[in-house]
Amino acid sequence: MSEIEHKRWHEELSAYLLGALEPGEAESLERHLESCERCREELRWLAPARDALPETASRMQPPPELRVRLLADVREDARRAAGAAGARPGLLERLRDFAGPRWRPLAAGAAVLLIVAAVVGYEIGSNGSEGGGNPVTVESNEPSGLVAAVSMEGTENGRIELSNVSPLPPDKVLEAWLERDGEVEAVPMLFVPNGKGEAATTLGDMRGVTTVMVTAEPPGGSEAPTSEPIATVTIG
Amino acid sequence: MAADRQKAERLADEELMPLIGGKDPEAFAVLFDRHGGAAYSLAYRIVGERDAAEDVTQEAFISVWRSGARFDRARGSVRSWLLSIVRNRAIDALRAGSGRAPKLNFDDEAILEQRPAEEQTEEEAIRHETAGEIRDVLEELPGEQSQVIELAYFGGFSQSEIAGMLGIPLGTVKGRMRLGLRKIRSELAEGWA
Repeated sequence: MSEIEHKRWHEELSAYLLGALEPGEAESLERHLESCERCREELRWLAPARDALPETASRMQPPPELRVRLLADVREDARRAAGAAGARPGLLERLRDFAGPRWRPLAAGAAVLLIVAAVVGYEIGSNGSEGGGNPVTVESNEPSGLVAAVSMEGTENGRIELSNVSPLPPDKVLEAWLERDGEVEAVPMLFVPNGKGEAATTLGDMRGVTTVMVTAEPPGGSEAPTSEPIATVTIG
Repeated sequence: MAADRQKAERLADEELMPLIGGKDPEAFAVLFDRHGGAAYSLAYRIVGERDAAEDVTQEAFISVWRSGARFDRARGSVRSWLLSIVRNRAIDALRAGSGRAPKLNFDDEAILEQRPAEEQTEEEAIRHETAGEIRDVLEELPGEQSQVIELAYFGGFSQSEIAGMLGIPLGTVKGRMRLGLRKIRSELAEGWA
Protein backbone atom coordinates (compact mmCIF):
# COMPACT_ATOMS: atom_id res chain seq x y z
CA MET A 1 0.00 0.00 0.00
CA SER A 2 1.48 3.30 -1.05
CA GLU A 3 1.43 6.41 1.07
CA ILE A 4 -0.48 8.14 -1.69
CA GLU A 5 -3.17 5.50 -1.60
CA HIS A 6 -3.38 5.71 2.18
CA LYS A 7 -3.66 9.49 2.10
CA ARG A 8 -6.39 9.33 -0.50
CA TRP A 9 -8.60 7.07 1.58
CA HIS A 10 -7.69 8.74 4.87
CA GLU A 11 -9.18 11.95 3.53
CA GLU A 12 -12.39 10.17 2.61
CA LEU A 13 -13.13 8.75 6.04
CA SER A 14 -15.46 11.60 7.01
CA ALA A 15 -17.46 11.23 3.83
CA TYR A 16 -17.59 7.47 4.41
CA LEU A 17 -19.01 7.94 7.89
CA LEU A 18 -21.55 10.43 6.59
CA GLY A 19 -22.62 8.11 3.79
CA ALA A 20 -21.50 10.64 1.19
CA LEU A 21 -19.12 8.60 -0.93
CA GLU A 22 -20.04 7.86 -4.49
CA PRO A 23 -21.45 4.44 -5.38
CA GLY A 24 -18.69 1.86 -5.22
CA GLU A 25 -16.29 4.05 -3.27
CA ALA A 26 -17.44 2.80 0.12
CA GLU A 27 -16.62 -0.77 -0.85
CA SER A 28 -13.18 0.28 -2.08
CA LEU A 29 -12.52 2.13 1.15
CA GLU A 30 -13.62 -0.87 3.20
CA ARG A 31 -11.12 -3.01 1.32
CA HIS A 32 -8.44 -0.45 2.13
CA LEU A 33 -9.43 -0.52 5.80
CA GLU A 34 -8.71 -4.22 5.96
CA SER A 35 -5.03 -3.53 5.50
CA CYS A 36 -4.63 -0.08 7.05
CA GLU A 37 -4.49 0.17 10.81
CA ARG A 38 -3.98 3.94 10.70
CA CYS A 39 -7.26 4.44 8.86
CA ARG A 40 -9.07 2.01 11.15
CA GLU A 41 -7.79 3.94 14.15
CA GLU A 42 -8.88 7.25 12.64
CA LEU A 43 -12.29 5.79 11.85
CA ARG A 44 -12.74 4.57 15.43
CA TRP A 45 -11.83 8.01 16.74
CA LEU A 46 -14.06 9.85 14.30
CA ALA A 47 -17.16 7.65 14.51
CA PRO A 48 -18.58 9.26 17.70
CA ALA A 49 -18.86 12.55 15.80
CA ARG A 50 -21.13 10.86 13.28
CA ASP A 51 -23.00 9.06 16.04
CA ALA A 52 -23.69 12.41 17.72
CA LEU A 53 -25.53 13.82 14.74
CA PRO A 54 -28.87 11.99 15.31
CA GLU A 55 -28.92 13.33 18.85
CA THR A 56 -29.28 16.85 17.48
CA ALA A 57 -32.73 16.09 16.11
CA SER A 58 -35.32 17.76 18.30
CA ARG A 59 -36.86 15.11 20.47
CA MET A 60 -40.33 13.95 19.52
CA GLN A 61 -42.37 11.12 20.92
CA PRO A 62 -43.58 8.55 18.41
CA PRO A 63 -47.35 8.15 18.25
CA PRO A 64 -48.57 5.56 20.80
CA GLU A 65 -50.21 3.61 18.00
CA LEU A 66 -46.79 2.87 16.54
CA ARG A 67 -45.67 1.14 19.72
CA VAL A 68 -48.93 -0.76 20.00
CA ARG A 69 -48.72 -1.90 16.40
CA LEU A 70 -45.07 -2.90 16.60
CA LEU A 71 -45.47 -4.88 19.79
CA ALA A 72 -48.58 -6.62 18.51
CA ASP A 73 -46.63 -7.64 15.42
CA VAL A 74 -43.64 -8.98 17.30
CA ARG A 75 -45.78 -10.78 19.86
CA GLU A 76 -47.64 -12.50 17.07
CA ASP A 77 -44.37 -13.34 15.35
CA ALA A 78 -42.99 -14.73 18.61
CA ARG A 79 -46.09 -16.83 19.06
CA ARG A 80 -45.73 -18.25 15.59
CA ALA A 81 -42.04 -18.86 16.17
CA ALA A 82 -42.80 -20.73 19.34
CA GLY A 83 -45.47 -22.75 17.63
CA ALA A 84 -47.80 -21.75 20.41
CA ALA A 85 -50.67 -20.53 18.32
CA GLY A 86 -53.82 -22.45 19.05
CA ALA A 87 -52.41 -24.38 21.99
CA ARG A 88 -53.71 -22.16 24.74
CA PRO A 89 -54.64 -23.22 28.25
CA GLY A 90 -58.22 -23.06 29.43
CA LEU A 91 -59.82 -19.92 30.72
CA LEU A 92 -60.03 -21.04 34.33
CA GLU A 93 -56.41 -22.11 34.42
CA ARG A 94 -55.19 -18.92 32.83
CA LEU A 95 -57.21 -16.65 35.04
CA ARG A 96 -56.08 -18.53 38.13
CA ASP A 97 -52.46 -18.19 37.06
CA PHE A 98 -52.46 -14.62 35.94
CA ALA A 99 -55.46 -12.68 37.05
CA GLY A 100 -56.21 -13.51 40.66
CA PRO A 101 -59.51 -14.28 42.31
CA ARG A 102 -61.52 -11.40 40.95
CA TRP A 103 -61.66 -13.08 37.59
CA ARG A 104 -62.91 -16.41 38.83
CA PRO A 105 -66.60 -15.58 39.07
CA LEU A 106 -66.59 -14.56 35.45
CA ALA A 107 -64.80 -17.70 34.45
CA ALA A 108 -67.35 -19.70 36.38
CA GLY A 109 -70.12 -18.01 34.52
CA ALA A 110 -71.38 -15.72 37.24
CA ALA A 111 -72.92 -12.44 36.26
CA VAL A 112 -70.08 -9.99 36.61
CA LEU A 113 -70.56 -6.62 34.99
CA LEU A 114 -72.56 -8.19 32.30
CA ILE A 115 -75.31 -6.12 30.99
CA VAL A 116 -76.14 -7.85 27.89
CA ALA A 117 -77.07 -6.21 25.23
CA ALA A 118 -79.48 -5.38 22.67
CA VAL A 119 -79.16 -7.10 19.41
CA VAL A 120 -79.14 -4.55 16.67
CA GLY A 121 -79.63 -5.40 13.05
CA TYR A 122 -80.32 -8.99 12.28
CA GLU A 123 -80.26 -12.22 14.14
CA ILE A 124 -77.39 -14.52 13.47
CA GLY A 125 -78.37 -16.60 10.48
CA SER A 126 -79.57 -20.12 10.91
CA ASN A 127 -76.36 -21.30 9.30
CA GLY A 128 -74.39 -19.25 11.79
CA SER A 129 -71.47 -21.61 11.84
CA GLU A 130 -70.52 -20.50 8.37
CA GLY A 131 -69.13 -17.20 7.26
CA GLY A 132 -70.87 -14.71 5.07
CA GLY A 133 -74.14 -14.44 7.02
CA ASN A 134 -76.08 -11.32 7.82
CA PRO A 135 -74.41 -8.49 9.71
CA VAL A 136 -75.05 -8.52 13.44
CA THR A 137 -74.14 -6.06 16.14
CA VAL A 138 -74.26 -6.86 19.84
CA GLU A 139 -73.91 -4.05 22.33
CA SER A 140 -73.01 -3.91 25.98
CA ASN A 141 -73.55 -0.93 28.24
CA GLU A 142 -71.12 -0.98 31.14
CA PRO A 143 -71.77 0.66 34.53
CA SER A 144 -68.88 3.02 33.79
CA GLY A 145 -70.85 4.50 30.91
CA LEU A 146 -68.67 2.76 28.35
CA VAL A 147 -70.52 1.25 25.44
CA ALA A 148 -69.09 -1.72 23.59
CA ALA A 149 -70.40 -2.96 20.27
CA VAL A 150 -69.28 -6.18 18.62
CA SER A 151 -70.18 -6.51 14.97
CA MET A 152 -69.88 -9.56 12.78
CA GLU A 153 -70.66 -10.59 9.28
CA GLY A 154 -71.82 -14.16 9.75
CA THR A 155 -69.06 -15.61 11.88
CA GLU A 156 -66.20 -13.73 10.26
CA ASN A 157 -64.77 -10.26 10.37
CA GLY A 158 -65.53 -9.60 14.02
CA ARG A 159 -64.90 -6.10 15.24
CA ILE A 160 -65.36 -4.37 18.56
CA GLU A 161 -65.97 -0.65 18.89
CA LEU A 162 -65.89 1.14 22.22
CA SER A 163 -67.16 4.58 23.08
CA ASN A 164 -67.03 6.65 26.26
CA VAL A 165 -63.71 5.07 27.15
CA SER A 166 -61.95 6.84 29.99
CA PRO A 167 -58.42 8.01 29.18
CA LEU A 168 -55.85 5.29 29.80
CA PRO A 169 -52.72 5.77 31.87
CA PRO A 170 -49.72 6.19 29.55
CA ASP A 171 -48.46 2.75 30.47
CA LYS A 172 -51.64 0.93 29.49
CA VAL A 173 -53.17 -0.26 26.24
CA LEU A 174 -56.42 -2.06 25.48
CA GLU A 175 -56.41 -5.76 24.75
CA ALA A 176 -59.41 -7.77 23.62
CA TRP A 177 -60.09 -11.37 24.57
CA LEU A 178 -62.31 -14.00 23.00
CA GLU A 179 -63.86 -16.78 25.04
CA ARG A 180 -64.38 -19.79 22.82
CA ASP A 181 -65.19 -23.33 23.93
CA GLY A 182 -64.28 -22.53 27.51
CA GLU A 183 -60.87 -21.10 26.58
CA VAL A 184 -59.77 -17.52 26.31
CA GLU A 185 -57.68 -16.18 23.46
CA ALA A 186 -55.88 -12.88 23.22
CA VAL A 187 -56.71 -10.81 20.15
CA PRO A 188 -53.35 -9.97 18.55
CA MET A 189 -54.12 -6.35 17.68
CA LEU A 190 -53.79 -4.08 20.72
CA PHE A 191 -55.50 -0.71 20.61
CA VAL A 192 -55.85 2.61 22.39
CA PRO A 193 -58.69 5.13 22.60
CA ASN A 194 -58.55 8.30 20.57
CA GLY A 195 -59.09 11.75 21.99
CA LYS A 196 -62.86 11.28 21.76
CA GLY A 197 -62.86 8.20 23.95
CA GLU A 198 -63.41 5.89 21.00
CA ALA A 199 -61.45 2.72 20.35
CA ALA A 200 -61.81 -0.19 17.98
CA THR A 201 -60.02 -3.30 16.86
CA THR A 202 -60.69 -6.27 14.64
CA LEU A 203 -61.44 -9.60 16.28
CA GLY A 204 -61.09 -11.97 13.36
CA ASP A 205 -62.83 -15.35 13.29
CA MET A 206 -65.86 -15.36 15.61
CA ARG A 207 -66.86 -19.00 15.23
CA GLY A 208 -67.73 -20.42 18.63
CA VAL A 209 -67.05 -17.18 20.48
CA THR A 210 -69.37 -16.74 23.42
CA THR A 211 -67.89 -13.66 25.08
CA VAL A 212 -65.71 -10.74 24.06
CA MET A 213 -63.90 -8.86 26.81
CA VAL A 214 -61.57 -5.88 26.88
CA THR A 215 -59.02 -5.14 29.58
CA ALA A 216 -56.35 -2.53 30.14
CA GLU A 217 -52.94 -4.15 29.93
CA PRO A 218 -49.29 -3.11 30.02
CA PRO A 219 -47.74 -1.95 26.75
CA GLY A 220 -47.15 -4.95 24.55
CA GLY A 221 -50.18 -6.67 25.97
CA SER A 222 -50.41 -9.72 28.20
CA GLU A 223 -50.68 -13.43 27.71
CA ALA A 224 -53.75 -13.48 29.95
CA PRO A 225 -55.94 -10.74 31.44
CA THR A 226 -54.35 -8.99 34.40
CA SER A 227 -57.23 -6.71 35.34
CA GLU A 228 -60.99 -6.63 35.44
CA PRO A 229 -62.62 -6.08 32.08
CA ILE A 230 -63.73 -2.60 31.18
CA ALA A 231 -66.16 -4.16 28.72
CA THR A 232 -67.78 -7.57 28.41
CA VAL A 233 -70.03 -8.49 25.55
CA THR A 234 -71.90 -11.78 25.49
CA ILE A 235 -72.46 -13.16 22.02
CA GLY A 236 -75.49 -15.29 21.25
CA MET B 1 -44.75 -11.27 31.63
CA ALA B 2 -44.38 -8.44 34.15
CA ALA B 3 -41.42 -10.27 35.66
CA ASP B 4 -39.92 -10.69 32.19
CA ARG B 5 -40.33 -7.00 31.60
CA GLN B 6 -38.61 -6.08 34.85
CA LYS B 7 -35.77 -8.43 34.07
CA ALA B 8 -35.35 -6.98 30.59
CA GLU B 9 -35.34 -3.44 31.94
CA ARG B 10 -32.29 -4.23 34.02
CA LEU B 11 -30.28 -5.37 31.01
CA ALA B 12 -27.96 -3.22 28.93
CA ASP B 13 -28.84 -2.73 25.28
CA GLU B 14 -26.12 -5.13 24.24
CA GLU B 15 -27.58 -7.78 26.52
CA LEU B 16 -31.06 -7.29 25.07
CA MET B 17 -29.95 -8.06 21.55
CA PRO B 18 -29.44 -11.82 21.97
CA LEU B 19 -32.88 -11.98 23.59
CA ILE B 20 -34.41 -10.10 20.69
CA GLY B 21 -32.61 -12.48 18.35
CA GLY B 22 -34.38 -15.25 20.25
CA LYS B 23 -37.76 -13.57 19.65
CA ASP B 24 -38.35 -12.10 23.10
CA PRO B 25 -41.06 -9.41 22.78
CA GLU B 26 -40.33 -7.98 26.25
CA ALA B 27 -36.70 -7.32 25.35
CA PHE B 28 -37.89 -5.70 22.14
CA ALA B 29 -40.35 -3.52 24.05
CA VAL B 30 -37.60 -2.30 26.36
CA LEU B 31 -35.40 -1.48 23.38
CA PHE B 32 -38.22 0.46 21.76
CA ASP B 33 -38.94 2.37 24.95
CA ARG B 34 -35.29 3.35 25.25
CA HIS B 35 -34.67 4.38 21.66
CA GLY B 36 -38.02 4.72 19.90
CA GLY B 37 -38.12 8.44 20.57
CA ALA B 38 -34.65 9.04 19.14
CA ALA B 39 -35.44 6.84 16.16
CA TYR B 40 -38.69 8.65 15.39
CA SER B 41 -37.06 12.03 15.93
CA LEU B 42 -34.26 11.21 13.52
CA ALA B 43 -36.68 9.84 10.96
CA TYR B 44 -38.79 12.99 11.20
CA ARG B 45 -35.67 15.14 11.00
CA ILE B 46 -34.82 13.50 7.69
CA VAL B 47 -38.18 12.94 6.00
CA GLY B 48 -39.93 15.98 7.50
CA GLU B 49 -43.36 14.37 7.70
CA ARG B 50 -45.00 12.47 10.55
CA ASP B 51 -46.58 9.60 8.66
CA ALA B 52 -43.39 8.92 6.72
CA ALA B 53 -41.36 9.14 9.91
CA GLU B 54 -43.68 6.62 11.54
CA ASP B 55 -43.28 4.25 8.59
CA VAL B 56 -39.51 4.57 8.68
CA THR B 57 -39.37 3.95 12.42
CA GLN B 58 -41.61 0.93 12.13
CA GLU B 59 -39.54 -0.55 9.31
CA ALA B 60 -36.33 0.02 11.24
CA PHE B 61 -37.57 -1.67 14.40
CA ILE B 62 -39.03 -4.58 12.48
CA SER B 63 -35.63 -4.92 10.83
CA VAL B 64 -34.03 -5.02 14.27
CA TRP B 65 -36.54 -7.64 15.38
CA ARG B 66 -35.68 -9.79 12.41
CA SER B 67 -31.94 -9.24 12.47
CA GLY B 68 -31.20 -8.69 16.15
CA ALA B 69 -28.94 -11.70 16.25
CA ARG B 70 -26.70 -10.06 13.68
CA PHE B 71 -25.82 -7.08 15.87
CA ASP B 72 -22.04 -6.86 16.25
CA ARG B 73 -21.11 -5.05 19.44
CA ALA B 74 -17.54 -4.65 18.18
CA ARG B 75 -18.82 -2.11 15.64
CA GLY B 76 -20.47 0.26 18.07
CA SER B 77 -23.40 0.69 20.41
CA VAL B 78 -26.87 -0.67 19.83
CA ARG B 79 -28.21 2.87 19.72
CA SER B 80 -25.76 3.89 16.98
CA TRP B 81 -26.54 0.72 15.04
CA LEU B 82 -30.27 1.26 15.33
CA LEU B 83 -30.05 4.93 14.37
CA SER B 84 -27.90 4.07 11.38
CA ILE B 85 -30.68 1.73 10.23
CA VAL B 86 -33.22 4.50 10.74
CA ARG B 87 -31.04 6.98 8.86
CA ASN B 88 -30.53 4.65 5.91
CA ARG B 89 -34.22 3.81 5.64
CA ALA B 90 -35.18 7.46 5.93
CA ILE B 91 -32.76 8.40 3.17
CA ASP B 92 -34.18 5.58 1.05
CA ALA B 93 -37.67 6.99 1.68
CA LEU B 94 -36.51 10.44 0.65
CA ARG B 95 -34.94 9.12 -2.53
CA ALA B 96 -38.08 7.17 -3.31
CA GLY B 97 -39.95 10.43 -3.18
CA SER B 98 -42.10 9.41 -0.26
CA GLY B 99 -40.86 12.21 1.94
CA ARG B 100 -40.38 15.90 1.61
CA ALA B 101 -37.05 17.53 0.96
CA PRO B 102 -34.88 17.59 4.07
CA LYS B 103 -34.85 20.63 6.23
CA LEU B 104 -31.53 22.33 6.03
CA ASN B 105 -30.66 23.65 9.43
CA PHE B 106 -29.98 22.29 12.88
CA ASP B 107 -32.24 24.80 14.58
CA ASP B 108 -35.53 22.99 14.55
CA GLU B 109 -36.56 23.83 18.08
CA ALA B 110 -39.96 24.80 16.73
CA ILE B 111 -40.83 21.12 16.95
CA LEU B 112 -42.22 21.07 20.43
CA GLU B 113 -41.60 18.37 22.93
CA GLN B 114 -44.76 16.32 23.13
CA ARG B 115 -44.18 15.07 26.61
CA PRO B 116 -43.73 17.21 29.72
CA ALA B 117 -40.20 17.32 31.04
CA GLU B 118 -41.21 15.76 34.34
CA GLU B 119 -42.23 12.59 32.52
CA GLN B 120 -38.82 12.13 31.00
CA THR B 121 -36.60 9.51 32.50
CA GLU B 122 -33.29 10.52 33.96
CA GLU B 123 -31.53 8.89 31.04
CA GLU B 124 -33.67 10.83 28.59
CA ALA B 125 -32.92 14.04 30.44
CA ILE B 126 -29.18 13.35 30.22
CA ARG B 127 -29.50 12.60 26.54
CA HIS B 128 -31.48 15.78 26.07
CA GLU B 129 -28.79 17.77 27.81
CA THR B 130 -26.13 16.05 25.74
CA ALA B 131 -28.06 16.77 22.57
CA GLY B 132 -28.06 20.42 23.53
CA GLU B 133 -24.30 20.36 23.96
CA ILE B 134 -23.87 18.71 20.59
CA ARG B 135 -26.13 21.30 18.99
CA ASP B 136 -23.92 23.96 20.52
CA VAL B 137 -20.86 22.33 18.97
CA LEU B 138 -22.56 22.23 15.59
CA GLU B 139 -23.65 25.82 15.82
CA GLU B 140 -20.08 26.84 16.47
CA LEU B 141 -18.95 25.21 13.26
CA PRO B 142 -18.38 27.51 10.32
CA GLY B 143 -21.62 27.54 8.37
CA GLU B 144 -20.10 26.08 5.25
CA GLN B 145 -18.89 23.05 7.24
CA SER B 146 -22.17 22.35 9.00
CA GLN B 147 -23.96 22.79 5.70
CA VAL B 148 -22.10 20.02 3.90
CA ILE B 149 -22.34 17.70 6.91
CA GLU B 150 -26.07 18.25 7.13
CA LEU B 151 -26.63 17.76 3.42
CA ALA B 152 -24.72 14.50 3.58
CA TYR B 153 -26.07 12.99 6.78
CA PHE B 154 -29.63 14.29 6.91
CA GLY B 155 -30.11 14.85 3.19
CA GLY B 156 -28.43 11.72 1.88
CA PHE B 157 -26.48 13.59 -0.77
CA SER B 158 -23.11 12.42 -2.03
CA GLN B 159 -20.08 14.70 -2.12
CA SER B 160 -20.37 15.27 -5.83
CA GLU B 161 -24.09 16.03 -5.53
CA ILE B 162 -23.36 18.56 -2.81
CA ALA B 163 -20.65 20.13 -4.96
CA GLY B 164 -23.15 20.47 -7.78
CA MET B 165 -25.84 21.90 -5.54
CA LEU B 166 -23.58 24.48 -3.97
CA GLY B 167 -21.58 25.24 -7.09
CA ILE B 168 -18.23 24.61 -5.43
CA PRO B 169 -15.36 22.25 -6.31
CA LEU B 170 -15.59 18.65 -5.11
CA GLY B 171 -12.31 19.09 -3.27
CA THR B 172 -13.81 21.95 -1.28
CA VAL B 173 -16.72 19.77 -0.21
CA LYS B 174 -14.34 17.06 0.90
CA GLY B 175 -12.25 19.52 2.88
CA ARG B 176 -15.23 21.11 4.62
CA MET B 177 -16.69 17.73 5.48
CA ARG B 178 -13.41 16.48 6.89
CA LEU B 179 -12.66 19.61 8.91
CA GLY B 180 -16.20 19.85 10.22
CA LEU B 181 -16.48 16.27 11.42
CA ARG B 182 -13.04 16.38 13.04
CA LYS B 183 -13.98 19.56 14.84
CA ILE B 184 -17.20 17.98 16.15
CA ARG B 185 -15.19 15.02 17.39
CA SER B 186 -12.66 17.23 19.10
CA GLU B 187 -15.35 19.26 20.80
CA LEU B 188 -17.43 16.37 22.09
CA ALA B 189 -17.50 16.26 25.83
CA GLU B 190 -15.15 13.73 27.31
CA GLY B 191 -16.88 10.47 27.99
CA TRP B 192 -19.79 11.13 25.62
CA ALA B 193 -18.52 8.52 23.24
